[in-house]
This record gives sequence, structure tokens and C-alpha cells, in this order.
Amino acid sequence: MEAVSSSPTRPTRPTRSTHQRRPSQSAGKPKGAALKEREAARRALAASAQGRANQRRRLVTVLAPIGAVLAVLAVLVVVRVATSQDHAGKKTRSASAIVIAQVTGVPAATFDAAGAPAKRSPTITATGGGALTADGKTRVLYIGAEYCPFCATERWPLIVALSRFGTWHGLKYSYSAPSPEVFPDTPTFTFHGATYASRYVSFTGVETATNRQVDGSYEPLDKLGADDTAIMKQYDPQGSIPFTDLGGRWVINGATYDPTVIHGKTHAAIAATLAQATSASGKAIDSAANVLTAAICQGTGGQPAAVCTSPGVVAAGKTLP
Amino acid sequence: MTTNATPTARVSRVELTTLALSLIALAVSIYLTIEHYAAPNSLACPDTGAINCTKVTTSKWSEVGPVPLALLGAIYFAAMSALCVPAAWRITALDRVRIVGAAGGVATALYLVWVELYQVEAICLWCTVVHVASLALLVTVLWRVTGRESA
Repeated sequence: MEAVSSSPTRPTRPTRSTHQRRPSQSAGKPKGAALKEREAARRALAASAQGRANQRRRLVTVLAPIGAVLAVLAVLVVVRVATSQDHAGKKTRSASAIVIAQVTGVPAATFDAAGAPAKRSPTITATGGGALTADGKTRVLYIGAEYCPFCATERWPLIVALSRFGTWHGLKYSYSAPSPEVFPDTPTFTFHGATYASRYVSFTGVETATNRQVDGSYEPLDKLGADDTAIMKQYDPQGSIPFTDLGGRWVINGATYDPTVIHGKTHAAIAATLAQATSASGKAIDSAANVLTAAICQGTGGQPAAVCTSPGVVAAGKTLP
Repeated sequence: MTTNATPTARVSRVELTTLALSLIALAVSIYLTIEHYAAPNSLACPDTGAINCTKVTTSKWSEVGPVPLALLGAIYFAAMSALCVPAAWRITALDRVRIVGAAGGVATALYLVWVELYQVEAICLWCTVVHVASLALLVTVLWRVTGRESA
């Protein structure tokens, strides 16, 4: 209260000294006037206290909405950050050199041990059309998307098979889209940014979208050329992916083996099984690769002979429609 | 509360602040509206990573039917500007309209932040200027109205 009475802008409270001086200062004043003076001072004090209370109420009234808004914003940001991984899909990242070596270097003996798939894949059909070539080489066209779980599944045997005809560069880890997509986060690679070189085969890999959703649809990625669009329309009028054209003679609409054999595993775990024809994923991928190899060999004129005449490829070729 | 205008009342700084905030948000909204119709890809804003105005302003969330949100924002802030001119502040009967209007603006801003974070996955800097102005407008409007009530 001393602070209040000492403030020049606020009403002063009667102090001890004023009381002491009163007899001489108000000696001439009547008693009623002194009482009025004290009453005025008391009212001023009350008004000052009321003013401070009003000021506090104003601050609370103004700051409460700011606090509420900031709290809502904090919740939005925290939840967004906490769930970003699930919502956006796992990002493409560099692949382990060991894994790449395992995927592109499956031993010939393992291919032969894997042989043909246990049953013929219904996704492969013969086109009855002419050869598909580019630069004087048989051409393999893959059209898919990074979010697509069946594309994720089919890239494994495609990469394995094409490794027998040439070399890959720039393959990166990728994953299919997260839940609620079926077989969420299936580990795979992306053909976006990867290159393939071969004496026998020309490969085109088109990833039309990423695994990240924007405005409820996946982000566009690679553009499909007019010629490839025409090929897809001819053999896959509904435009379902993955679509693979193996030299113009066979097309694949979907995956050639069961995605469950790789779902839930890591890239390294899947790659490690590729040299083991007895494991479920190794057998599935290697035998599917044998089928693709047999189809491609039709376009390469049986070259390279060591690959195209190997027992595994020959056995798998008999399952082609 | 009285509806009487007091023509001799002095213009307070808080009133001028509310007007300035409304005009800033109005200017940004007009800019975004023009860009929406003229050249939606030429916004003066980074367009990579988390900050990407174009991604936000060209998303399907940037329109209500055929009407761009930026245009609705411009209309809203034009109305708030009119409510916040000093002459309008003398009409105390409009205090409640000002508070409801400013609170509605903040609620809309929160909804649009949710859209940016969860649906579009990008933040528009120009939109953020408008959102911050909306919050500041609510604060200053409340400050002025409560000051009048406690006077």
C-alpha cells in the first residue's frame, strides 16, 4: 500500500505525517470538511484497487484466446510431427552396397536350384504381337509407381533377372505406401533415378508416382511417354500397375509371386535369402526371375547363352504361356 | 453498452492498430486472389520442402466450390477493415460483431493451418501472415472492447 500512496498518478493515502500536520494545517477547517477529505481518499483507494482488478480481468480476457490458440497450434504441430512417418510414406534412401551386390549377383547355381515357380503365374500373358525393341535390342518396359505394393514386389525379380543381362546403377531403397494400402511399407527399390546398361536388353522403368500423398493422391513422378502409353493401353486397357512388357511377346499385369513372402522383412533380410533357393522369399524371387529371364531370352536370341540355356531358365521357360 | 456515437472521442492507438492489421491481411488476401487467377505458380515464396505457397494455393483445399479461399479472405478482411475504422469504433453496438468476426477469423485460420499440416503437407508463408494478423486482430479488438467496458 505504500507503493500505491507514493505513486504520483494515484490518489494519495493519508499518511502518518499528514495526520501529524493536520492540527496546524486544518486548524481553520471545520470537522466536517476533514471527514469529507478522508472519505474521498478512501474512495480513491477503492477506485484504484478496482482499476487494478479491471486491468487484470482485461489481461485474462485478452490472453486467454492467445493461450488457447497457441495450445491448439502446439497440438497440431506435435501430432503432425509424431505421425509424419506413417502418413507420408517412407522416403527413398541410398541402398547398402552389400544388398545391391546380393540382388544383382545371385549365383547361377541358386537360379538352377530355384528352377520354375511351383505354379504358373496368371499375371503373365502372351501378346501374340510383334517384338518390342529399342536401339537394336529387345526392350523391357516397366510401368509402376512407388506407392504400389505389387510394383514393390515385382521389382525384386525384375532387377534380379535383368542383372543377368547387364548392370544397374543408382538403385535406391524404396517402400510401398503405408497403411491403409495393402501390404504397407513393402521394402523394394525404385527405378526412378536408376540406370541400366546392357548389350542385349534396353530397359525403361517408369515410376508414375511417389509413395507420398498430396491432396489425397500420390505425388506424380515420372512422365509416361506417348509410345509407352499406347503400349499400355493396348495390353492393359484399365491401366493397372505394375505393367511389364517383356520384349513385346509377353506382358505381366501385376506381380508374378505372392507379396506375403517378402512383406514385413527388411531389404537386407530379403536380399540375404536370394542366394538360398530353399527359403520362401529366395525361392519365390529367384524362380520368378527365371521366368522373366526365359521371356527376355526369346528377344535376345538366346544370348547370353550361359544364362538362356541354364537349367533353371529352361525349366522356367516351359511355364510361359 | 450504448449505441451512441461520440464524435468528439479521440482515436486510440489500439483502434488504429486493428485497422492496420485488417488492412495488412486484406492486402495479402487481394495479392493471393490476383495470383490465384493470374499466375498461381508465380507467388513470391519458396516452393520447395515444407514451405511451399504454390502447393497450398493450388491445392483442392484452396477453393470453396468455384470461389478461391483468398477471395473469401479478402471479402472478410474488407468487412473487418470497415468495422475497425475509427468512426465505426465509436458505435459500441458493433463491439460484439467485431469480437465474433475476429474470433471467426482465428477459428478459420486454425482450420487452414490444419489443412496445411495434414492435407497439403506444406506451409504457405503468405497465408501465415494472414493467420498471424487474424490472431493479432482478435487480441487488439478484445483489448479495445474490454478497455471500453472497464472505463
